[in-house]
Order: sequence, then structure tokens, then C-alpha cells
Amino acid sequence: MEIRPIFSAMMRSKTGVILIALQIALTLAILANALYVVRDRTNEANRVSGVDDANVFMIATLDRDVDGVMARQKRDEELLRAIPGVASASWTSQMPLSQSGSNTGVQTNPKQTDSVASPSVYSGTEMLIKTLKLKLLEGRDFNASEVLETDNRLPDQAKPKVAIVTKALAKKLFPNDASVLGKLFYQGRGDPPIEIIGVVDELVTPWGRASWNTDQTGDESFILPARFTQRYNIYAVRTEPGQRDNIMKEAEKVLLAAVPGRLISENNSMDQLRENRYRGEHTMANGLLIVIGLLLLMTASGIVGLASLWVNQRRKQIGIRRALGARRVDIVRYFVTENVMICVFGIVMGSGLAIALNRAMMSELELQRLPLAYLLMGAVSLLFLGVMAVLGPAWRAAQIAPAIATRSA
Amino acid sequence: MIKMQQLSKVYRTHLIETHALRGFDITVKEGEFVAVTGPSGSGKTTFLNIAGLLEEFTGGDFWLDGVSVKGLDDNARSKLRNEKLGFIFQGFNLIPDLNLFDNVDVPLRYRGFNAAERKRRIEEALGRVGLSSRMKHYPAELSGGQQQRVAIARALAGSPKVLLADEPTGNLDSQMARGVMELLEEINSQGTTILMVTHDPELAARAQRNVHIMDGTVTDLTQETRLALQHAVEVA
Amino acid sequence: MWNYYFLLGWRSLRRNPILTTLMILILAVGIGTSMTSLTMLLVLSGDPIPQKSERLFVPKFHIADMRGYKAGDKPDFQFTYIDTKNLLRDKRAKRQTALFGLSLTVDSGRKDLPAFSERGMATTSDIFPMFDMPFRFGSSWSADADDKASNVVVIGPELSEKLFKNENPVGKTIKIIDRDYTISGVLDVWQPTPKFYRLYGSDATSRPEQIWLPFTNAVSREFSNSGWNNCSGEGAGSGYEGWLKSECTWIQYWAELDKASDAAAYRDYLSAYVAEQKKLGRMPRPEPFQLLSLREWLEDAGVVGRDTKLSTWMAFGFLMVCLVNLVALMLAKFTARAGDIGVRRALGASRKEIFRQYLIEAGVVGLVGAILGLGLSWYGVHIISSRLAEADDFYRMDFRMLLITLLMSISAALLAGLLPTWRACQVRPAIQLKSQ
Repeated sequence: MEIRPIFSAMMRSKTGVILIALQIALTLAILANALYVVRDRTNEANRVSGVDDANVFMIATLDRDVDGVMARQKRDEELLRAIPGVASASWTSQMPLSQSGSNTGVQTNPKQTDSVASPSVYSGTEMLIKTLKLKLLEGRDFNASEVLETDNRLPDQAKPKVAIVTKALAKKLFPNDASVLGKLFYQGRGDPPIEIIGVVDELVTPWGRASWNTDQTGDESFILPARFTQRYNIYAVRTEPGQRDNIMKEAEKVLLAAVPGRLISENNSMDQLRENRYRGEHTMANGLLIVIGLLLLMTASGIVGLASLWVNQRRKQIGIRRALGARRVDIVRYFVTENVMICVFGIVMGSGLAIALNRAMMSELELQRLPLAYLLMGAVSLLFLGVMAVLGPAWRAAQIAPAIATRSA
Repeated sequence: MIKMQQLSKVYRTHLIETHALRGFDITVKEGEFVAVTGPSGSGKTTFLNIAGLLEEFTGGDFWLDGVSVKGLDDNARSKLRNEKLGFIFQGFNLIPDLNLFDNVDVPLRYRGFNAAERKRRIEEALGRVGLSSRMKHYPAELSGGQQQRVAIARALAGSPKVLLADEPTGNLDSQMARGVMELLEEINSQGTTILMVTHDPELAARAQRNVHIMDGTVTDLTQETRLALQHAVEVA
Repeated sequence: MWNYYFLLGWRSLRRNPILTTLMILILAVGIGTSMTSLTMLLVLSGDPIPQKSERLFVPKFHIADMRGYKAGDKPDFQFTYIDTKNLLRDKRAKRQTALFGLSLTVDSGRKDLPAFSERGMATTSDIFPMFDMPFRFGSSWSADADDKASNVVVIGPELSEKLFKNENPVGKTIKIIDRDYTISGVLDVWQPTPKFYRLYGSDATSRPEQIWLPFTNAVSREFSNSGWNNCSGEGAGSGYEGWLKSECTWIQYWAELDKASDAAAYRDYLSAYVAEQKKLGRMPRPEPFQLLSLREWLEDAGVVGRDTKLSTWMAFGFLMVCLVNLVALMLAKFTARAGDIGVRRALGASRKEIFRQYLIEAGVVGLVGAILGLGLSWYGVHIISSRLAEADDFYRMDFRMLLITLLMSISAALLAGLLPTWRACQVRPAIQLKSQ
């Protein structure tokens, strides 16, 4: 491989080389970082909710008053369950990915002043886990007698004594324990301790990964067995596969008919909730993918352009080489080698730029550190792109007849 | 060394058929120094290109150093060209982006010699043409005559059997031209076959044998005809 | 001469349409993406009320108890009911107001329109002049109505049109959660950009609420806060009364001062207030309170999110790659014109003249690229606005951004053209003419 002569000849037209190398470097810098952000956002948007997304929906009512609301909740649940095709229904205080709900600080020791974690609190009936189809890893579900009926307008309401936590929360609270069943934690308001009676695999918080605090990964939640007295009531409903859309309409009719003067405040499937929550992430990912596509296109066309220019400028030279015994494949190899050199030069520069850009974004934009795998992936794709792009002009160069050496003055 | 029998070359465009060479017969023995003359458009360059395996021919047969060239594919012809032939062009045709060393190196790379062998041959070739001291210089820094010498060194570095020269002194002044011709004569005396296209009769006279191409056919010129031609030129 | 060069540039671009189209497309796409993200950034970081933004302030106290306290923790961004009542009573600013969000049912009484839910704000009458909220009909309720917790309401233009078409509904009543409220005024179209008064509890890009009723009235009817509630310490006691007595923060407080320089005096007042509260055993944390101006408040709340900034960075990086590509294309184009340049130089053009001619040619690319880029950004902003903003056309390109686009495109093209143009000037006439 005639690397040295190719290099020395290439260096005689430095401008073109520098421009292409610079373009490759800048492209790699942006590509590597953008790919990582796309992956990160897409992963978050596709995260497992723990819930049966395809078949669950939420329907919320806004009533005129709270008189007899407990009985009303139970009746609403019965009406919902009676709809053919409904597998289960339950009152709940909040829905995953709905962007509305509450968090609370918890401790494992009543004397602690700092919270060990800030999980999201779901309150619901003994049917909630079944309705959301959460996966119980250990322990048991609530039974009906444990469900408290809480009216916060009145003093001295009973406090919950048991809870079911997510695996992530269990690990946060008791990192060194194999099983957390029977362990106690505190909501930190001077309330009595709460015993963990079950652990579910996943239950995402209403916000997923919080944008205001990226430490909040969105997988720490716990469920309390309770109903609340309030005018706004959410019901989680799970249907048999394929029937959700129809049942959502039916549920609205049924609940409206049950209480005069009531309004249906929300009626959204889990898929809709997910789409609403992650619209920003999707837009960002799509936007970046478009930019990445355009970048690759521009780089490829730049390489094709420069290579074509050089092929044209070197027609005579190519003819001479052929006259001196170069085969067609030798000419292709010449151009590919030259191109690989430029690409490698650009990639090395670009790697430095990518890391520098990432550092800058880490400090200004709270980005994560770029994993080297993305840099490698970007580098390999650009090299591949470069070689593919130069093959066209290189093949054309190889077609130049050796007779050009003698025929053109 | 070179044997062509009933060779023909026809160029076809949409409407016109040009017969550049017709029924061409020529045999060049090893060690001969042949000058090829003829008016422009006669087919001299076509003949040289075919002899140099730079172009394919339409009909007839062609043997180079005992090997039949007819029907060989591009790769085989390139290989043959690389191993058996050396080229010298009117316009020198050195690669401007490479220094002298690298210029002479080009055909050797395609030959597949290792680095040590190549270095040896390049130094020897440049030495033979008297330019070893300027190995790292670029063609643009040399005079026309020096550039042609480098081209000759490049042609010789691979120890070819036949040297093909297309108006080698066309772009040189008389003094440089003489120098080049002396070099060629020296090379020929060491056993290399030379086929030189020229329209300078004085140069043609220095070759052992002259062939004249006119309208695509070739004729060997006898001594008398050569002298007559020369005389005609002097008078005119 | 400039006209001549402009013409030459235009003609030369037309002669090689593929190359020209490519150059213009690349520039336009680069400008388009940068301007789309820049517009988003500028809109979100803009001043929503420039005529008085330096006179509007948000006090922030450290309400939370010592649990989980770390030095450098930020104060609470909302108020407790206790502090709200106290500061409203003291009336130490030129104007002050408190807000919290409501989730209401509205019944117009019309047979053809069933009851529906609507978002609203509980606030004091000061808010309307404080935020320069425009009225279409009527006016806000009186300070007296605030004191008496009267059943009055100001409604927004969309609600008014929905219920009353184009009529003036002042004096009419609507039922809000089963009680009649008299309409004292209807707001005109008002879209503060961003929606600074309710960054917590609603999206900065959302439309203003359509129902505004007295704070005291909402409290008397025990409406709960539809928004962020942050309870530390012992939490709320039972019932609404317990809620009002608690250290939960749920109310947004705003103060308007006469002049920006009055902030020092207002700060002194707040200082004294905090000292007083500490004596009562409240506000245990040692960190000082904060008084943020409107601009500081927007920054503090992070209204320009991380993703907006990230998009802008990426878009400008993309623009740089576009420019490098543009330099390469221009170089190729100008190099091919070496013959033309040689002849011109031989005929007497100085290097400066050649420089000017080719730079203007680059400028023409910039101009055409600007127009196309403008179209692309307009489209881009529209798409982003419909996908990401709650209010339609929240993200819009105003005159300022149009101008920025134009300038950016032309300067980008000129910048990209510098190297190729300089190269063009170096062409030696002799060599060019010999090789003709």
C-alpha cells in the first residue's frame, strides 16, 4: 500500500483535505452526542410502566359535592365492572404517567431528619394492583379489610399501617437486605410506621423521570390501601384485549348516568397518558434524528464532491498510472486509501471535539457523560459512509482509459 | 519481440467509421531501435498505443515477447504493460504532486517489489540518467530536459524489454534533445528494444530502422528513401 | 459597481444550477434549524411584561423545617396561607396579589350547553392593574368585594364567547360550582409569553385561565388548590381549617413596587417580618429569604428547559457543519472560474475588485438562502409550536427574529465565502492565460 506517497500527494492540496476532515470532525462531534441523547430520550419514553398499557385506561369524575362519596366510589366501581369486557376496576388517587399526583419523603428510622427517598404515593383499593396488572414479586396484595376510608376534613383519621412498595424503592430503603417483607418505614410526619407487605416489580410514578430533578428516576413508588373523600375521583379500569376504545365510551356514559350534575373530567388510555407525558422526548428525538440524517447526507455529498473534483483534476495522472501498469482496482484502491486517511484524520479530530462538546454540555446543560460506545459507533459509521461515498468517483476514475496518457497533450 | 499480423483498428461513432490502422504487419526483433515516422493523423499514435497495450485493436494478431495479446483482459494487459514495457511521453507526464523518487517508484509499486528492491532500482535508474542528487525534488523544479530524463528513469526502473517513446524530444530545445537521444542510444546498446515515434527526420536517422506509417498502413523505409526524405526536408 | 457585481453574481449562480441549488439548500437548512430553535429559546426567555418587569417581585421564604436541611437549599417558591394573609394585610408594596389555581364546574344556565369543567384562578383585585390585564367589557371587582368575599367573577374572552357570543355579559350571572357569580368584567385576549404568573401548576406555554374570582371567596368556599402543594413538618391538621393553619405552601405571591429602587426598602420590611415570624417559632432555617425580580424568577423556575437549550446547541453545531460544506462548495465553484479571474485581472481588475465581486456573489447566495431559510424556520416554528406548546402559535417569529434570520444568513454566507474569495484573488493572471 503506497501510503506515504499518497499522503504526500494529498498534502499538496491541503485545503480540500482540511475542509473534508473538518466536516467529518464536526459531524462526529454532533453525531456522537446527538445519538446518545436520542437513545436516552427514546429509552425514557419507552420505559416499562409496570402497568398493562395496552388495556388500561383512567376515567375521572368531578362531582358537585362529597356527600356519601365513599358509597358513590364503590357504586361507580361496580358499574364499571359490570360493563362487558371490563376485567377489573378500582378507585385510585393518581395514575402513572398522568403528570398529576403526590410525592412524599420517607425514612427508615423515625429519628432520621433526612429523607432516604422521595417516592410517589398511590392510594387505592384492594383491586388496584389487579386492575393495573402489576407484577407482585413477593408478599401479598391488600385485602378489603385493610382499605381505610379517609376523610381529611375530619380529625383523627386512621393512618395506614401497611404498604406495597416497588422493587426500586425497596432497594433504596434497605439496600443490604434480600427481602424487605415485614420491614418498617416512616412517612416522617410523626405518623406510625408502615409495614411492607408486598413488593411489585415496577410501578412508574406519575412523572416518570422528573425534568426538575434528574435524580428522580421515576421508579420509586409505594401503594397505600385507602380511599379519599374528594369531589374529583379517578378510576383505573382494565379491559379485555382489543375492547378498550369502545369500553371507554361506554364507561363515560355509565358514570355520567349514575350521578346527576356530575362531569367527566378526563377519559384517557394509558397509551394516551404516555404520549402526552413523552411528547417532548419524542419531538426532541425526532428532531435530532433529522439533524443526524442531514449531517450524514451532507458529509457523504461533500466527500463525493471533493473526490469527483480530484478525479477530474487528476485525469492525466490516472492515465499515466494506468499506462505504467496500474490495474483498475489499483486506481480504486488509491482513492479509497486517500479517503480513509482523510476520514481517520477527521475522526481523530472529531473524537476530541465530541468529548469537548460533551464536557461543555455536561456543565451547562446537565447532560450525562458520553459513553465511549456512542463515539465508537459514530466513528465507525462515518468511516463506512466515507468509503461508500468515495466508491462512486473512484470507480469512475478507474474507467479512465490508459490511452489518455498519450492522447492528451 | 513485437509481432503484429494484419492488425486493424477501427473507431466507430454514430455515423462515421474511421480506419486508423489497416492490415498492419510489423515485426520488431529484440534489441532493435525503430523510429516510426509519418504525417499527423496517420495512425502513429494509435500504433504506439496498441503496441503499448494502452488500447485494444479491432482485428488481426499481436504477440508481445512471444505472448499473444489478443483476448487478454484489462488486468492481464496492465500486468504485461507493467513488467515488459516502459513509456516515455512527449509531455514527460510526471506526477506533479510527487517528488522524483516517488515518481520513479510508481510502476515499481504495481510490480509488487519490496521496499528494499524498489529503493535499489530507483537509485540505480536515477543514477543512470544523472539525477540521483535531486531525488527529493519536485518536477516543477526541473528543466524540461531533466524532467524527460526522470521519465526515462521511471521507464527503466522496472527493467523493461521494450521502451516506447512518443516524440520524446518534442518539447525540448536542440541541446537537451541531443542529450536525450544519446541516453536512448546508450540504453539501446545495452539490449533494450526501442520503438520511437517522431517526426524529426534527423532523430529518425539515428535509429537503425525506420518505418513509415501513412493512412493506416506501414512501410519499411530503405536507406535510399530515408536519404531522399532527409534531403527533401533540408531543401524545404 | 455593486450593481454590476450583483448581476454577475446572480448570472454565475444561474449558470450552474445544481451547484447553486445545493449551496442555497445547505445554507437554508442550516439557517432554518438554527432559527427554529433560537426562536423557541428567545420566546421562552423573553420578557413577558417589559413595561414593568423590573418592578414586579416574588418574595421567597424558607418555610420548611430543619428536616433534610442542607446548606444552600433553595427557599420555597410558594407561600403559606399565614404569610399570604399577613403580607396582604400589611400592604407594604404599591400593589400586591396572591394566586392559587382552581378546578371548577361552570353552568351557564343555557339549556343547550350542559355544565362543563374549567380552570380558574383565585386572586385579589390588584392583579388586573399589576399585570396590565386588558378588559374587553367591564372591569375587575372592587377592593370591597375582596374584603367581603363577594360572589363576583371576571371571565376570559374565550369563555365569554362560548357562553354569550359577542354580547356584553357584565352584570349577568353564571353558576360556579352551584353558586351564582356576577360577572364584573370580561378580559380581552392576553397571552403573557411566557406565562410567568403560574409557572408552577401550569405550563409556561399554556393559555391564561378563563375564570378569575376573589381569593377570599375561594377560601370561604373551601376550594382546594389545583396546583403544587408542598407540605413539610407536621403537615396539615384536619379539614380546611387545618390546611389554612399549616406550613404547607400553595399560594403564589406577587408584589409591584413604585420604582425598581424601592426594592431595598421592601427587602428591609421582609427582613423584619421574617425576624418576627422566627420569634413565633416559624421559618427555622438559617438561610436568608429571597426577593426575586420577575426576570430572576423566570430564571429561578427554569422556564427555559434543558431540552430547549440542548436543541439550540445542536442546531448551531449543525449550522457550522453546513457552513464548512458551503465553504467547500464555494471553493470548488470559484476554483473552476480561475480562467475568468485571470482574464479580468489581465484586463485591469485589482485584487480588491475581484474580492468584492466574489464576496458579493457569496452574499447573493446568502440572500436567497435567507429567504428559503426563513420559510423553513417559519414552518419549523409552526410545527414545534403545535406539538409542544399548549397555546396555539405560542412560538412565533416576530419582526426581530425575521431580521435576525436575514442577518445571520447573509453573514454566514459571507463568512463562508471569505476563504474561497481570498483564494480567488491569489490567481495569477499569467498562468491562467497561458493554459487557455
